[in-house]
Amino acid sequence: MAPPAGQMRPGRYLAFFALIVIALYSLVLFTGDGQPRPKLGIDLQGGTRVTLTARTPDGNEPSRESLQQARSIIETRVNSIGVSGAEVVVDGSNLVITVPGEEGDQAKNLGRTARLNFRKVVQAVPAGQQAPPPTGQPNQPPSGEPGAGQPEGEQGQGEQDQQGGGGAPAGAQPAQQPDNNDGAIDAETAKQIREAKEQRQNPELVPADPQDQAAAAQAQQLQQQALATLQCSESDPLRGNDSPDLPLVTCNQDGTEKYVLSPSFLPGDQISQATANPPQQGSPGWEVNLEFDSEGTTKWGEFTSANVGERAAFVLDTQVVSAPNIEVAILDGRTRITGNFTQGEARDLAEVLKYGSLPLSFTSSDAKTVSATLGLSSLEAGLIAGGIGIGLVFIYCLFYYRILGVLTVLSLFLSATVVYAVLVLLGRWIGFTLDLAGVAGFIIAIGVTADSFVVYFERLKDEMREGKTFRSAVSRGWVRARRTILASDAVLFLASAVLYTLAVGEVQGFAFTLGMSTVLDLSVVFLVTHPLVALIAKSKTLSSPKLSGLGAVQRLGADRRQTKRVGPAVKEA
Amino acid sequence: MAVEEPEKTGESGKNGQPEPGPAKDSVLQRLYTGTGAFDIVGARKRWYAVFAVLIAVCIGSIGIKGFSLGIDFVGGTQIEMPAQGTGGEITPDEAKEVFSGALGIPATEAQQVGIGDAAAVQIRSQTLNTAELDQAKRALFEQLQPLGVNGQPTVDAISDSAVSSSWGGEISEKALIALGVFLVLVTVFLALYFERRMAIAAVVALLHDVVITAGVYSLIGFEVTPATVIGLLTILGFSLYDTVVVFDKVKENTRGLLGLTRRTYGEAANLALNQTLMRSINTSVIALLPVLGLMVVGYILLGSGTLQDLALVQLTGMLAGVLSSVLLATPLLVDLTMRDPKFKDQAQRVAARRANLARKAAAGRTEDDLDTTDDEALSAELRKEKAYAAAASVPARTPKASQKAPSAAPKGKPTGKRKR
Repeated sequence: MAPPAGQMRPGRYLAFFALIVIALYSLVLFTGDGQPRPKLGIDLQGGTRVTLTARTPDGNEPSRESLQQARSIIETRVNSIGVSGAEVVVDGSNLVITVPGEEGDQAKNLGRTARLNFRKVVQAVPAGQQAPPPTGQPNQPPSGEPGAGQPEGEQGQGEQDQQGGGGAPAGAQPAQQPDNNDGAIDAETAKQIREAKEQRQNPELVPADPQDQAAAAQAQQLQQQALATLQCSESDPLRGNDSPDLPLVTCNQDGTEKYVLSPSFLPGDQISQATANPPQQGSPGWEVNLEFDSEGTTKWGEFTSANVGERAAFVLDTQVVSAPNIEVAILDGRTRITGNFTQGEARDLAEVLKYGSLPLSFTSSDAKTVSATLGLSSLEAGLIAGGIGIGLVFIYCLFYYRILGVLTVLSLFLSATVVYAVLVLLGRWIGFTLDLAGVAGFIIAIGVTADSFVVYFERLKDEMREGKTFRSAVSRGWVRARRTILASDAVLFLASAVLYTLAVGEVQGFAFTLGMSTVLDLSVVFLVTHPLVALIAKSKTLSSPKLSGLGAVQRLGADRRQTKRVGPAVKEA
Repeated sequence: MAVEEPEKTGESGKNGQPEPGPAKDSVLQRLYTGTGAFDIVGARKRWYAVFAVLIAVCIGSIGIKGFSLGIDFVGGTQIEMPAQGTGGEITPDEAKEVFSGALGIPATEAQQVGIGDAAAVQIRSQTLNTAELDQAKRALFEQLQPLGVNGQPTVDAISDSAVSSSWGGEISEKALIALGVFLVLVTVFLALYFERRMAIAAVVALLHDVVITAGVYSLIGFEVTPATVIGLLTILGFSLYDTVVVFDKVKENTRGLLGLTRRTYGEAANLALNQTLMRSINTSVIALLPVLGLMVVGYILLGSGTLQDLALVQLTGMLAGVLSSVLLATPLLVDLTMRDPKFKDQAQRVAARRANLARKAAAGRTEDDLDTTDDEALSAELRKEKAYAAAASVPARTPKASQKAPSAAPKGKPTGKRKR
């Protein structure tokens, strides 16, 4: 990159750099919204961020396609709650929902799978005798006796909300299991799901042919077995992952009843409209009114005509929301779900039913609301830390390298200028948001950026110690330093790139800013620092030992020249 | 890095390094000018022992004591609010009480973080659902009235985060994969850029840094968060960065070494270490200063969190990194290299030549330093050595010949070097 020693034209490099800066800032000021502000993450400006991790029945990575589909459905749900500036992005096998500002709390409810299925109730038993669910929650009253079913049910209801709330039907459960092992979560969950499926979705639970006596007897036995082992705890591994075309043994939402259900006869995606309505007289809670599309209407009509007097179960994410008796055939495709809903719950349910169910079930891995106050103080802390970091480096460099230290300061300043512009532009172009980890990346990069100068300056000293003048040391030292700088920056960049590609969440922001700083550091060292050092070397005043602080090594070099000349002479004599 | 200096003073000045500068320079002066002559390579056995003990302690601690894992690994809910309320300062105990009173669930932990205006109270508990969280936040707001950004009490001043226990595990798993990939890539890079032995030495030093940092975390009981895991990974970059700088100089100093009898590989490496010592120290100081700032500010203003976690792990790792690149990586490189018979022979030749010189040393002119960075001087020197070998009419590489080689050099013969 640099021309051979002696032909260096510092002016050209500096002009080129100036051109880059001007170009960057023209882009910043005259494109997009013209606001020279980088996009801030919610931990710096306040807001809510929910990370949903996809959870597949077999523990494999979810397909790109279904993730994208889930993303767009969640995006619709986000928009429907009417917050502005919300974003849903796919990050590995995670979906990250970001809602800036103070209205993001609802975003925590958006990840529920909401897979609604209509199944026929084959058998229903009260769930009073169940053992306390293995949740490990100290607050949970032990419910050994039948009478405890109701409070227990309340709890179950609460937990269900949280499932939706945490954004994850199956989701929050791992968190509640004390014996949960980190790392092995996927395999472990997959195993649990498989086992639950074997027992509770056995095709022989409901015989296909009602006339087959042997099959019916066997089914009876299987049903009893499944019902006996089923625990109505909220940590149902199967939740959101049941197969609609198989029978299902499950509980209702408040854990008071257990059911054996037939395969689904009508899927929830044949719902065309869902609304939340206030409770009717005599009913305890809000209800959700549904309208089916034409196909759904036909199926619903057929089923209700054929099964008057029987019960139909509305199964949401593997749990029975309500299981009303069919009193009369419903042919107009309208029906309602009751389930002790509060207004909010009914509205949420209606929203998710209307906007479609997710193709994957999600676990809420990380749900965070940062208050604007905390965000602001984080931003402040980041800026102050950066300021102090730069300040300390300045002082050290000025003390140690004097005039070269001034160069360091100047170069760091220019580097910061470029970094800022790039930040703003990246925020605009690829939606890059600067979060706390990113800020830390920049602050740590200050040291790395300054290192390049140290490498160069120490090289200069090396050369001068060998007896060269400042001026000739500059070009020779540069050639060597350049190699070292390139190699070490390459290593650092490699580290950042690997981290960025393979890591998730905050790690990426950190790796991105660190890697970006490394690249920009190179441009500043090549285009600014080296030309400026060359300029200094040309000037007599500036390169005086007093200013450069290189007196000691210069003397050393001079001594050395001296001994080289004198030594042999003495010998000869 | 002042810590290092006293350690090294004891090592100084006892090897045969050329010392062109005035002999009585202070340690600092010698550091500054790079003429330190600290014999690090010579004392490498001692360093190995020190590092072995350190690593044993760290691994032992990790094995026995384990880590104290943050909320991201154990799961749970954390609520944070400003410690200033309309009714004066909010103490962690008050907050804990309000929390338990509102939910009937005891809070696991409540603590105050940060100081001054930025002080905040953090409450940790088991994972709460949305309704419970709402209830807790409302109760905290109503009873404690934390002040928001505009000085008015507001419920929005309360932050919360709920993490599943698998999240930290997931981040760590990915981080470990990243670590593996990085190690492979960087070994390939180093092997291409330097040589295989250097790549091995650098990676060993790197592993040392990781183990030491993890060990320090385990020993002191710092909380491990995903940010820590991330920080650990970036240390790798830094540790190698430092090693690359040192090895670059070693590589340069050992060019054409095999054809010369001036110094052994170990001595050349030690010289390189000395020449880059100040650079290593400066590099580390400059890299550590912002990190220190980050940590202090992070602690004072935010109490804890991403900033501080990242800073703490970087601080530990960078210290380990700079120590290992100087005291471990280079000595290791020397040992690896000295297994090569070619270098062993060369070391013998050097010894032989020295013995010879010492015998003949009536006139006190010590051998002068050869600047291996100077291509002209280097090739002149190489030519000269070849000529000596030819004059002895035996190939230079056999030990016997090399023993003769120095004696074959006519004493007063002008060398090409003088013209320099």
